[in-house]
Amino acid sequence: MKHGRYPFILSFLALPVGLYAWLVILPFAQAFQISLTDWSGSSNSFEYIGFDNYANLFKDERLVLPALRHTGIILVVLPLVTIALGLFFAFMLNLGGRVRRGRIEGVRGARFHKVVYFFPQVLSVAIIGILWKQVYAPENFGGLITGALTAVGLPAPVNGFLADTRFVLAAVIGVLVWSAVGFYLVFFSSAMASIPRDLYEAAVIDGAGRGPMFFRITLPLLWDSVQTAWIYLSIVALDVFVLIYMMTPERGGPDAASEVVGGVIWKYAFNHGEQAFASALGVVLFFAALSLAVVSLRFGRRERIEF
Amino acid sequence: MRNTAADKQPIFNRRNLFGATAAGLAASSLAACATSGSDDEGGEVTVGEDAENPFGVDPKAPLDVVIFDGGFGNEYAVAHQEIYKRAFPDAEITHLATQAIAETQQPRFAEGKPADVLDNSGAQQIPMDALVGDGELAELTPLLDAPSYDDPELTVRDTLREGVLEAGTFNGKVFALNYVFNAWTIWYDAKLFRDQGWTPPTTWDEMIALCPTIKAAGIAPWTYAGQHPVYLYDMFLMLAGRHGGVQVLKDIDNLKAGAWEHESVALAAEAMHSIGASGFLLEGSAGIDHIQSQTAFNNNEAAFLPCGSWLPNEQKAIAPADFEYAPMGVPALAGSVQPGLISAGGDEPFVVPKNATNLAGAYEYLRIMLSKEGSQIFGDTVQAATVVKGVALDNEAAKMTDALVSNPDDMFQPQFRYWYTKMNEEVRPALGQLINAESTPEEFLQRMQAVADETAADDTIEKFTHED
Repeated sequence: MKHGRYPFILSFLALPVGLYAWLVILPFAQAFQISLTDWSGSSNSFEYIGFDNYANLFKDERLVLPALRHTGIILVVLPLVTIALGLFFAFMLNLGGRVRRGRIEGVRGARFHKVVYFFPQVLSVAIIGILWKQVYAPENFGGLITGALTAVGLPAPVNGFLADTRFVLAAVIGVLVWSAVGFYLVFFSSAMASIPRDLYEAAVIDGAGRGPMFFRITLPLLWDSVQTAWIYLSIVALDVFVLIYMMTPERGGPDAASEVVGGVIWKYAFNHGEQAFASALGVVLFFAALSLAVVSLRFGRRERIEF
Repeated sequence: MRNTAADKQPIFNRRNLFGATAAGLAASSLAACATSGSDDEGGEVTVGEDAENPFGVDPKAPLDVVIFDGGFGNEYAVAHQEIYKRAFPDAEITHLATQAIAETQQPRFAEGKPADVLDNSGAQQIPMDALVGDGELAELTPLLDAPSYDDPELTVRDTLREGVLEAGTFNGKVFALNYVFNAWTIWYDAKLFRDQGWTPPTTWDEMIALCPTIKAAGIAPWTYAGQHPVYLYDMFLMLAGRHGGVQVLKDIDNLKAGAWEHESVALAAEAMHSIGASGFLLEGSAGIDHIQSQTAFNNNEAAFLPCGSWLPNEQKAIAPADFEYAPMGVPALAGSVQPGLISAGGDEPFVVPKNATNLAGAYEYLRIMLSKEGSQIFGDTVQAATVVKGVALDNEAAKMTDALVSNPDDMFQPQFRYWYTKMNEEVRPALGQLINAESTPEEFLQRMQAVADETAADDTIEKFTHED
């Protein structure tokens, strides 16, 4: 049986591993190499210039530093808000309703809500971008939110939310949360479904309210899922690009108020013809993502409860 | 779309699937090394005696043409290629029309296998400063010195309108043929002005005096594509250039120390600032794109709109039937020494890569584009003027624009935006902030002077200057 097993397995692995090495690992490795050169991207001549690109990265107050700041903000706010909302909604849909015949139920129409919340996940990001660009538009150009604010007599930014340096980043984060929350609702819901009901029923008998039930039972038992969600969302946060590209003025404006790392890499690579500088920023992003994953897995580790 | 014969053959039938995959893997894994391209030195092209075929085109050599598929479409290019085919029936022409110029063509430059003719235009154009700095482009001198397509007595250069090569000239060398003639002007609806009894202002003071009247009629005086403040670039620079003379703008382009502190530049900045500060902008302008601003303009929601010559033709099917597109130069500030100055010249850069496989064919293709027939085809299909002299256009706006650009000494295209990407990235948001009165004129000038000084001090950036 054992005879010839490895060649057999290897023959299956060769193609996927080969493709992976060629299409993923090789480009990564090349980004490292390119980041040490002065390559423009539109020529086949370049010189090695050591770590100059990396040194210059942190001096670039026009694009790179604002981008790092904004990506940092997204990195904190997006997972926090999305997970909080996802958990809250999931809890309400599964356990937020009344207790009937000794069983805890979700709020009315829970199934319907689940489907509705999931809708944004089905839309492509491009559509979401176009949709929300209109929602945020200036009032006399059909903006929904600005129009609603003015209708109830509240002040609204004259040029819409996306053209205002104060609001643009928050507006984009809002869309990110809106589009992600449905998925995490379903994700946490299914995780909650695997928590034995008798734990809750025991808690109800002991007189626990919704709050203690959530914090003492649900959250600890969901910790693994929360951690996974956190890593996913962090990666999403580091990769934010399409919405900025689709929605904001000058793809990161106004006046660099919504530049993010992904967008700045694109700008340097294709608008500025500084492929090497863009690669250096890409390498920094790569290590940021890597260390983020390692750190959150290390420090997030807790005792696992078997049930 | 690539129309080569190879595309029509089924690549993936069962017999050759494996072979094709293996070959593909081998070929693309070489190609995947972005930095591994070979550095072939392209041959030199000289101008020969034969007026029919001055560059000595190999009649069988294939030609690879890439066209930016934007506002002008690519129909005209297909027609140009038919003319090329007429002269060289055996040549196979690969025609690609795309908006993603940088995404599709940059890797080909990196590989050392670029197209023969590239219309490097649109939002995704490959930065010209990078291409020129890397020495990736062929000089167009042989083309300009060659006999023209229609009359062997005239060189191609003789058939061009004056001042149109300026935009493609880098340190005295012509690297791009900007094919379309364009002027940046302020547009207004002549009918609206006539009906309301308003006179199109020629001076800034007249314009400012007219604004309250326009507002009283329920119309905002100005709008612009707020999401793309680049539309303000020529308006602002012409304000400064008209006041202080063209040298002010040349100094800015040449990165002369203190160029942004010139009095005329300061006055222009104040003027731009006053539009927003006085509430003369259509509400919401900063948040809209060019389509929305043009729509608002077509609906007479705003009286003035800064834009290029292509606008009336582009809006022909969209604007109300009685809308009369009329251009004017930016109203000149009091004390302007060169009030006729206008940003006009070539646009839509066609380049020939130095490593092009069929260099001679590429020059010949451009020569065909610049023939009477070639440029008339362009004029007829897209109703826009080319840089070739004497192409008749049948529309009123084009004739009015021609009147504005009648004096070649008053034609000047500011270049720093094309020469230095970094300054381009700075001037756009800075102008947006300025016209909305989000920043003061002083802040604007300091900001621009700072980026100009930074650019001048950076040795890694190749510098360009205007001649004279």
